[in-house]
Amino acid sequence: MADQRDVELLEDLLAREHRLLSAYEAALRRDAIDASLGETFRGHEHEHVRALEQTLADAGRRNPRATVPSPELTAALRDRNAFAEFAEELEDETIRMYVDAAASVRDPELRRALGSVMACGAAHVVALKDALGSRFLVN
Amino acid sequence: MAPSITRREALGGAAAALFVASCGGGDPPPATGAKPGSGAALLGSLLALERASFAAYSACLEVLDGQEHQQVHAMRAQERGHAARLEQLIGELGGEPPPGRSAEEYRRTFPRLRTVADALRFVQDLEERQVRAYLEALTELPDLELRKEAAGICGDESNHLATARVLQGLPAAEGPFVTGAL
Repeated sequence: MADQRDVELLEDLLAREHRLLSAYEAALRRDAIDASLGETFRGHEHEHVRALEQTLADAGRRNPRATVPSPELTAALRDRNAFAEFAEELEDETIRMYVDAAASVRDPELRRALGSVMACGAAHVVALKDALGSRFLVN
Repeated sequence: MAPSITRREALGGAAAALFVASCGGGDPPPATGAKPGSGAALLGSLLALERASFAAYSACLEVLDGQEHQQVHAMRAQERGHAARLEQLIGELGGEPPPGRSAEEYRRTFPRLRTVADALRFVQDLEERQVRAYLEALTELPDLELRKEAAGICGDESNHLATARVLQGLPAAEGPFVTGAL
């Protein structure tokens, strides 16, 4: 069972995942990301949201905090490069949150699972760099 | 989405498993002098895997060129940094880092790498094993700061894994949960 601090970490991660999901959905609507890549990422984020919501529900939380739309997102939707740079930064910030959470939560199996989500985020960053034409995919 | 594994991938994975087991990644670490339960032994196992990967990438670089060479070269440099950090952490726990093996000892255990595809497949397999090892370490390391170190390195290895996949023309991520599920 997650304690109060764990629940707060998971809620923060859930808010982040909602931001990512909203960003990829908006980018797909505005053709600001390759359709195949955007649909794949949207699917991943949807799964991350679902899993975090389930984990929070198991901890007795039914009403996760609402998320606020990012003011930078609208500007980033003007073209594919701008969106890729925006999404890369958002993914990077989210990875840092997962590094902290995957080390901190009390449940060892939850630490592993959060690490596996972090690894997916790291893969998104590589794909976004590749989409930007970067020659340097390694951090 | 359930990942599918081709026969070639399965064979490549088997080669990497044999290599890692034979060159130190699967060996029990030697007694270190650190307190039992400190995490030093587990860090020693991770160190063996990092050193094995460093040696493997040196062999891979012999058959790579261009962007593939550049990327694997960068990965190898990071593996060296991870190994140095793990040695430092083991020392801080009062332990002695395991001695490791010579480049020649590692080389004798490598699968034959004839092509760019062979090398990149091998890199991918090794990175999958490293990500899995660090995720496992997150469940077992007793100290928060050690787990933060492991999580940070796991992020680097995840970057390497995705890079190896992209260089082969594969999707960066195989699914929403890399080597695990929530």
